[in-house]
Amino acid sequence: MVWSAGHPISQPHATGSLGPVGPFPDGRVRRVLERRWLHYAFLTRDLEFGLVANLAWLGVGAPAAAAPFATGILLVHRRGAGWVSSQFNAHGDEPIWSAFRRPQPLGEEHDFDLRSISGNPAVQLRVARTSQPCTSQCAPFAGDHFLRWQSETGVVARGTWRHNGEICPDREAVGYHERVRGRWGWPELGGWVFGFANDTASRSGAPAHALVFTLIQPLQSEQTTGSVMVWRDGRLVRHFPRRRVSVAVRGILDRNRVTQVPGLSNLLGVPPMSTIPRRLLIHAVMGRDEVLLDFLCDSAARIVIPNETGTRPFSVHEAIGPVTVEGRVSGRTFAFTSSGIVEFAGGAGID
Amino acid sequence: MTSGAELLVATVGELSKRAPAVIAAAAHEMMGVTLGLHFEDQSHATLRPNHSRLLAIPERATEPEVEVYFGDRALNLLFDLDRRPVDQVAEQSLDVRGERANVLAVWRTFQILSQRAAGIRSVQLLWLAYRDANPGRWGRLDHAAGEPYAPTAPRGTGWRALDYLDHRHPEDLDLQNATIGGMLAPDTRSIWDGRVSASWWASLLQSDSDLVETMTACRARVRDEMHRMIPDREPRAELYDLIRDYPSREGKGLRPTLTIATCAAFGGRTEDAVRTAAAIELFHNGFLVHDDISDESTHRRSLPTLHEAHGVGLAVNTGDAMNLMAIDGILSNLESLGLGRTLGLIHEVMHMCRETVEGQAIELGWIRKGFVPAADDDYFRMSTKKTGWYTCISPCRMGAVAAGVTNPELLDRFNETFRLVGIAFQIQDDLLNLVGEEALYGKESLGDLLEGKRTVMMIHLFRTASAALRERLQRIIVKSRAEKSPDDVRALLEAMQETGSIEYATGLADRLAHEGVRRFEADLAFVPETEAKGVLRQIANYVTTRAL
Repeated sequence: MVWSAGHPISQPHATGSLGPVGPFPDGRVRRVLERRWLHYAFLTRDLEFGLVANLAWLGVGAPAAAAPFATGILLVHRRGAGWVSSQFNAHGDEPIWSAFRRPQPLGEEHDFDLRSISGNPAVQLRVARTSQPCTSQCAPFAGDHFLRWQSETGVVARGTWRHNGEICPDREAVGYHERVRGRWGWPELGGWVFGFANDTASRSGAPAHALVFTLIQPLQSEQTTGSVMVWRDGRLVRHFPRRRVSVAVRGILDRNRVTQVPGLSNLLGVPPMSTIPRRLLIHAVMGRDEVLLDFLCDSAARIVIPNETGTRPFSVHEAIGPVTVEGRVSGRTFAFTSSGIVEFAGGAGID
Repeated sequence: MTSGAELLVATVGELSKRAPAVIAAAAHEMMGVTLGLHFEDQSHATLRPNHSRLLAIPERATEPEVEVYFGDRALNLLFDLDRRPVDQVAEQSLDVRGERANVLAVWRTFQILSQRAAGIRSVQLLWLAYRDANPGRWGRLDHAAGEPYAPTAPRGTGWRALDYLDHRHPEDLDLQNATIGGMLAPDTRSIWDGRVSASWWASLLQSDSDLVETMTACRARVRDEMHRMIPDREPRAELYDLIRDYPSREGKGLRPTLTIATCAAFGGRTEDAVRTAAAIELFHNGFLVHDDISDESTHRRSLPTLHEAHGVGLAVNTGDAMNLMAIDGILSNLESLGLGRTLGLIHEVMHMCRETVEGQAIELGWIRKGFVPAADDDYFRMSTKKTGWYTCISPCRMGAVAAGVTNPELLDRFNETFRLVGIAFQIQDDLLNLVGEEALYGKESLGDLLEGKRTVMMIHLFRTASAALRERLQRIIVKSRAEKSPDDVRALLEAMQETGSIEYATGLADRLAHEGVRRFEADLAFVPETEAKGVLRQIANYVTTRAL
């Protein structure tokens, strides 16, 4: 058991390699604002359950040898019943699974157990890779701040889901996994829109098509960056760079559909956040290749993240809802309708 | 509704009810100018501001400072945000005459009306009805020669502005397909187009909400919650059915709306505030039951008061039970809001109740001693304590607490604004009792005079009346309600009319309301501009535009 907020714990490198030194150096985070994340998001094939989990190691500064501060949060969404979340002290078995530990053949199953202290929510899953990761990408901003990320979609997870005390065994989900490393302050970062969609209806294994998009909007707006990536049968087939992408939003999601988590944030009272968009439309075009994603937000969980350098917290809204994707890549057209998870994040730099 | 003048009058009427902040802002911009409007259908109207109200009269203005002629095409374009009027209006379809400053004032007024009122559903329906009734009035123009303007279109003269003007021409519109949907401005916005970034969280331009619909929705939600809080068990006839009586006589929904809107303005959810709002309603109704007994009132919301219908004993007990259930309702927030916020709510409730009973004591003391205070400030103090806290101030504060705001400094920012709004509201209520129709007002007309209620009008009357008149009036007001005759009430009313007390109170309420609105913007600037804050702003303005 390693996930315990505030306690010295081992970082990923201590229990297995998270890839080559370079884009994601395998060293401890030390300085304040240095961060290292493992992020997970799954949706069951019947679209009943959704999962979002984020495990973070944060540099604590002097003394230099101090172990990083670790947090973990787990959110489970059930259609019609809404979101249930842990505090920032979700815990699981070590080492926590990551697709970026090598070697790890496609299809090889591993345990992925994560639960809140109270046991609600919790998941006990067997996960396996079906796809290749994208190349890593980096957003530099505000001088020496940067956020580097690498995504892998098509992660298949089967097992037991616990939501509000109800245990639902043997549900298969398909999702997304990401690793992040960087050094940034929340006000400087501004915010982001990020998400994924998998065409999971047609078969088991790797999705026929999958989409991951990112739009990072630093406070200095000229530093905005982003991308849309398309996978086919587990292989990344197209990467639309930021100049080829346009993103628009429409409407607002009713505040009653937004659940604020973790529970402690409700007790402490936090400032309100802007309303989040009801609909998101992303269009990417490059040559004859084109993809259009239309996401309609059904409900959202606002994760209130403490801000180390300002008075306003950073908010990540995990939004869930139906998504329609149409596209053409290398002369082959595709289209699918599914559920997607989108993050609308920001709010620390409003002051 | 077939004429332009009727449409204008109906629109202003709807907005006065549903978006008072819009009307107040428009009236402010009009700077006292009287506007004469002439429509192509040969109808005429006059529009002029009166304090924070806009008066629209379907008659030709006698001495207008600005005159506007609306052709049918120009009129249709007024609320049609899909098409920019500068592109669509035809020659001779709009003519404006007047001093430049006055014309600009009118222009600003119509800009506010068109931009901010276009989102109000009931206004859209009015305009849709007008369009449906006049399908032929949408003018059709022949296309001008040349290509439509586009950034890449070839230029004629090389002068961008001239070419733009040369090339602009109305679209060829299909009248049959013009729908209400077409009148709405699309709210899609780009947050990244490959070059320019706009944060998704940037404050959206907030549309003004329809206050009537908002209050109706909040009232219904809280009423349902209140009924859930009342047990369905014996003794029904002597207690629980009586508890349901007053809440079922629905009021305007001011308190529930304030509570829910404040909670939402601080990022809370509606559910977080509903139980608290229901508890406030139970307190309020409990106070009313007791107040009606104290005042010997016979009617409440157009029906006999509880003690008239069921006797004083049962009524007192019912009021007690309502207060008890209200406390129970506040405590039941423990599960959903947690200990901290619930304790905060209890603290607010204690304060609210203490203020209310103190205010009631002051007023009852005055009546018992036959005393009429000399200064308005005494009335302000009593009125704020008796009704201001539980009607305006506490609902806001408790909504904020339900959303997790417990910092007293922040909560106190609501006090002055809603103290002023509350007093203005109470004065207007008292005025309506004198000059309003019973059907609209709900309480018995002139009931305040029968009770000898110390209103601003009464205080002004005693302050300005001659010694002889004051002595005569004093003999009337010391009589109990049963002893007062219709002649006594008439004498009081006539004296108020002669001394100008009613006009004085009207002006005073207006001034207080305006100061309240000013304080709203100053004191509550820290609250983010959200739709919920827009609702609070509408309520603050509600007292400035209320029809008297």
